[in-house]
Formats: sequence, C-alpha cells, structure tokens
Amino acid sequence: MTDKNVTETLPEKSVFSRRTVLKSAGIGAAGITTAAALAACSKKDDGPKDLDAATVSFVFNGSADQAKSFDALFAGFKEKYPQIDFTAQAIPSASWAEYADTVAVQLAGGAKYDVLNLATEGALLFADKGVVLALDDLIARDQEEMDIALADTHPRLVEFGKKYGPQDGKTYYIPSGGMNCMAAWVNKDVFAKAGLELPTDDWTWDEFLAAGRTIKKKTGAFMFPVTAEYFVGIMPWLTTNGASTMNEDWTVATCDTPQAIEAAEFARQLVVEKLSPAPGGTFDRFELGIKGDLAVFGGGRWPVLAVRAANAVDKYEIFDFPHKGANRGSPVGWAAFPIMKSSPNVDAAWEFVKYLSTSYGATVFAKSGGTASPCLKSVAESQDYLADSPVGTEKLYKALDYATAIPSPTKGNLTQRTIEDVWGQIIAGNIKPDAGMKKMQEEVTKLL
Amino acid sequence: MPLRKAKQKQERFTPFLFLSPAILFFCCFILFPLIGAFGYSLITWDFFTQPKFVGLDNYGKLFKDPIALEAVKNTFIFTIASIVTHVGLGLILAVAVNRRIPKFFAYIIRTVFFFPFLLSWSATSIIWSFGLDPTFGVIDFYAGKVGFPQATLISSTWALPTLIMIDLWKTLGFAFIVILAGIQAIPSEISEAARVDGASGLRLFWNITFPLCTPAIFFVSVTAFIGAFQIFEPMYIMTRGGPDNATLSIVQYLHMSAFRNFDIGYGAVISVAIFIVVLIVTLTQFKFAKRWVHEG
Repeated sequence: MTDKNVTETLPEKSVFSRRTVLKSAGIGAAGITTAAALAACSKKDDGPKDLDAATVSFVFNGSADQAKSFDALFAGFKEKYPQIDFTAQAIPSASWAEYADTVAVQLAGGAKYDVLNLATEGALLFADKGVVLALDDLIARDQEEMDIALADTHPRLVEFGKKYGPQDGKTYYIPSGGMNCMAAWVNKDVFAKAGLELPTDDWTWDEFLAAGRTIKKKTGAFMFPVTAEYFVGIMPWLTTNGASTMNEDWTVATCDTPQAIEAAEFARQLVVEKLSPAPGGTFDRFELGIKGDLAVFGGGRWPVLAVRAANAVDKYEIFDFPHKGANRGSPVGWAAFPIMKSSPNVDAAWEFVKYLSTSYGATVFAKSGGTASPCLKSVAESQDYLADSPVGTEKLYKALDYATAIPSPTKGNLTQRTIEDVWGQIIAGNIKPDAGMKKMQEEVTKLL
Repeated sequence: MPLRKAKQKQERFTPFLFLSPAILFFCCFILFPLIGAFGYSLITWDFFTQPKFVGLDNYGKLFKDPIALEAVKNTFIFTIASIVTHVGLGLILAVAVNRRIPKFFAYIIRTVFFFPFLLSWSATSIIWSFGLDPTFGVIDFYAGKVGFPQATLISSTWALPTLIMIDLWKTLGFAFIVILAGIQAIPSEISEAARVDGASGLRLFWNITFPLCTPAIFFVSVTAFIGAFQIFEPMYIMTRGGPDNATLSIVQYLHMSAFRNFDIGYGAVISVAIFIVVLIVTLTQFKFAKRWVHEG
C-alpha cells in the first residue's frame, strides 16, 4: 500500500472541529497537559517502526546562523526515524512574506518539497493556491496524539488557527509548531550606565520616552531602533495602543484610527529626537545592542541566538513592550508546516510534521535556541526553553494572552509591502503621520 | 561528380555547424523566451491554477495602471540621465586622459574609473547601502558636511538622483574606456595636419576629435540606453522601489507583478512592452546615427 492509499482510506473527520477545540481548550489544565505531553513523548516511540523507508524534503526560512539552530531539530528527527532520508533547505529572507513569495516561485519552477515551513504571513496564500494537503485524514489517524498536543497548545493559538486559517472547513496547518510574540529586550548595562532602574512590564510610552532621553543624554546610546518592518517595527507600536492594520477578521483596513495615527506619531518622535538610528540604515540591531550602543530592541525568541553567540545572555532582560494607557499589546505570528499535495511521501512527511508539532520536537528546538517560542505550555515553562536565556523569557509565551494575530490576508505579501513602504515614509519624515496613515488605509483597502 | 556534389553540400552546411552553438544559445535564451512571453501575455495565470486565455485584456490593463506609468516615468528619467552623464563625462574624461599627461597617471585614472564596472550590481548596491546609511554611513556623513542632502535613499525626492549617481559611479568607466579607445584610434597625422594649419585645441576637438570618435559615442549611447532601461538590481536591493514608488523601475515592476502578485500574464505584458520600447528606441538611434555618426 502506498503512502497515498493509506491517507485515502482514512475517515474524514477533523480533530479541529469547534467541539474538539472547545473540549481541548477546556482540558488545558497544567497538570493534565504536562502529563499528556509526557505521554505523547513516550507514545511517539512506537510510531516509526511501521514506517517504510522514504524521503522527506523540507524548506524553511533562515539565515546561515539561524539554520544552525535547526540542525539539532533535524538531527533529532533523523535519530528517531533513521529509515527516512531527510533533507532540508534554508532560504534566507528579509521577511516571511518575501520568503513565501520565493517558495511559491520555486514551486512554480518545479522545485519539489514535501513539507514547507510557513508563518502566518503566507499561510493563506498557499492554501488559496490549492497546493497544500488537507491534514484532516492524517490528524484523524493520530487523533489521540494530536489531541494531546492540542490540549497543551495555548488556547488562543488554537483559536487563531481556526479563525485565520482557510475557511473551507479543512485543516491545513497545525497551530502548535512554534510562534513569536514581541517583547522589549533591555540591555541592563546601558540602563545602569545611565543611572536608570530597569523598567517594569507595565511601563508606558511616556516612561519609555523619558528613559530614552536620559540614556541619550548620559550615554549617547540610542534607545530603540524604529524600523519599517511589519512584525518587528510597526505592529508592536500599533498593538500597544490598541490599534492594528486591519479589523479582527482581516477584512477591513484600520490604519487611520486615532490610535494608529498616534502610534505612528510616537514612532516618528523617537526618530526626530534621535532616540533611534535614522530609519533606512543597514545596522545590525543585535550587534549595536550587545556593544552597548542601543538600550532596547524588540524581538521574539530569535535574538537569543545572537545574544548567546556573543555570551551576552546576562546582559539582557526581557520585558513586555511599553504601552500607551492600559493597552498592553504585541503581534503574534505562528509557524505552519503544511504538507505539499504533490508529495509522494505523505506518511513520512506527516511524521515530520507531527515531530515538529508535538513536545518532542518542540523540546529539541527550544534547547537549541531556535527562532521561535514553543506553542506548547509544557515546553514553554520548561528549563529546556528557559535555560541559557535572558531573565523574562517566559514573557514571550505569556504575551499570547493579549497578543493580536498579525493581519495576513490572502494578499498579505502585497499589504505588507504597502504598509512597510508608507510606514517607512512616515518615520523618515517624508509624509506626516496622519496623512501617511490615511494613505496606508486607502492602499490597504484597495488590496483587501 | 557525386563526390563534388557531396563536397558542395558539406561546404554549404559547414558554416551552420560553426554557428550552431550561437544559434542554439540564441534560440534557448532569447527567441523561445520571447515567443513564450508573447504567449503568456495573452493569458491570466498565477503559477498554480489553470491558465485562462484573456486575449489582449492584459495589454489594456497596462495603459490604465498608474503604478506602471510611474515606473515608466522613473525608468525614462533614469535612462536619459544615464545616457547624458555617461556620454558627457565619459567624453570629457577620455579627452582629458588622452592629452599628454604622464602615463602613470593615465593608468591610475583608467583603473580607478574602470574598477567599479567590474563589480556586480549586488556588491555595488550593498557597498553603497552601507556608505549611505543615514546614521553610520561614511559617505552620508561627509555629504552632509559639504552641504549635500543626507538620508537620500529614504527621501522620495532624492532617492532616484542618488541611484543615478551610483549608476554613474559604477558604469562611467565603461563609457570612458570605449570613448578613449575611439579617440586613440584617430590617426595622429590628421590631428597633426590640423595643428600645422593652425587649428586651436577647441577647434581640433570639434572638427577632428569629436566627429571621428562619434562611432564610439554612438556605441556607448546605445549600450547605455539598453542597460539603463533594464535596470533592476540597485532599486531592488537598496530602495525596494520606494519610497512611495519613487525609484520603481519598469523591470522591477515586471518582477513585482509576476513574482509577488503572481500575475504572470501581466508580467509578460510588461516584458513585451519593454522589448518593444527598447527595439523602437534602438532602431531610432540607428536611423538617426546616419546623420551624425562618422563612417570611417
């Protein structure tokens, strides 16, 4: 029986039905999930024995440095499934949208991959093109194992996966493969040099601005790099003022709300007061930060690789992003690992997807530093994730409680380009914040 | 008799045998893609779903697309500036270097100006991105010191002029060397005879040097046009076509339409339009060349 035949004979039942989601979320108590995750680990040991020799090719977004952190993840899979000939290819991209475009063009050019690594920015695009496989049959086959992973996954991610996934009633992505929220990585040495106490998680924009002015005056260091990157540079300021680029359903642009305009004005103010390096530069924020020339940078889990490489873990502490008023906020994007419809090795590919989405793979990735935080509570609270990481790393997972899903509609690659271009002009001073956000509103509306 | 016929036949085919690699190359990389582009321009296709024949609809879309018009405008500004600066400065440099200056300095000047031409556009773009960094860039810093605008790559007013300047830095050396070769090919007896007849330096330039190096100038203007009209890399790497499409070139828009918007048909229409414009302008250049290019 071929891999395809196996999947075709499975019953058509999705583990991610509303009932299952609610049920799973309901049983998400810590004790149960921890035990369940452990059970998942032990259960997986029985899986590979039935699997025939096969090949699995995987493509992921990562620079050379980031790709190294994936090596441990791949080694773990190869060790567990020696009969699978596994190959992985890294594509370094400036953004997830750009990466999705590159993969799409490669696929059109005849590239053959079994499993893709996508983020929220790009997930709808591939489902819309009809190139990824509905996983419902495979999930149903390993229902118990998937339910365990799902029960351990942060309920909001499960909700986001359902809400923002393709609306054709099928499941293409499992929402437990990794995620990133944004937080403030604070260089403790710079704050100390400026005679400032470290902030609290409750710090406001005004306090942030005041700290920036003091740091600039006393040390000459920049406070924060204001950039036109959608996830890293734009959404944190919008979400910490209760704004976003689109409404909750990603159907209506909301770029010109008073809160969004206020966020743009604040970002521009940081540039005008030279608390940020001038936008459009080529500097490396991690290098600048570690050298002590930058007090704070925004990031999810991924800066840990640079910080570890520079032996600077102790220099940093992670705090929630400063906010305006009572609006604590952060964007969140999550990983998706779809199997290609064209894959001749669906069963082997499914084993890899399961490996990435369950606690075994998540633990391996967390230990290696990784580029994303785990979606599984048991892993996010474990020392595998928290060890050798700055104090406050647990906040990268806790931010899920209030985070906003990064708006990424089907034409997300185009909306992202527009948003980044207009924001870039605002922070560079080419256009006033209110006029700029109105322009952004018009442009994004045209694309929705 | 049959032997002679066979030999004649063989002789007739021999040139084609020698030409076959070039013909094969031309067909694979120019002719077939060109035919393919015409074919693609008649369909709507997103790489993944079934293509649909739409006739000339994509062409109609091109004329109503404000971004395409903006990209065409930017590209023409870039191209005209490129031709004017390359020919003008290339000629001035060539004439200057051809004068009796020490050989050593002539070598230095040639090397300094030609070296950037050997760099790829990607390397050039990265080097200039660092140099023009508005906070840490050395070039940006000193530009500010002498009164030039700063942070030019993020200014919708200055981004395109900055790219024109970078293009000049990179490719001036080529124009300069070609024109210099043209000047050095002028027989010295002609200049000497003119001097004996009392021609001054300026008169010598206008009546001897310039007319006789017009073939080189013509060659530079044609290649500068074709190269500049298809500019892509510096815009893609340094400005992403921004800010506000101020540096979006037509080839970059082609790339965006085909490989970002996944509208292959429309991308093909843009490529066909580029082909037609380049063809018309180049043919026009050749037609008018008869009026001003000296035929030696």
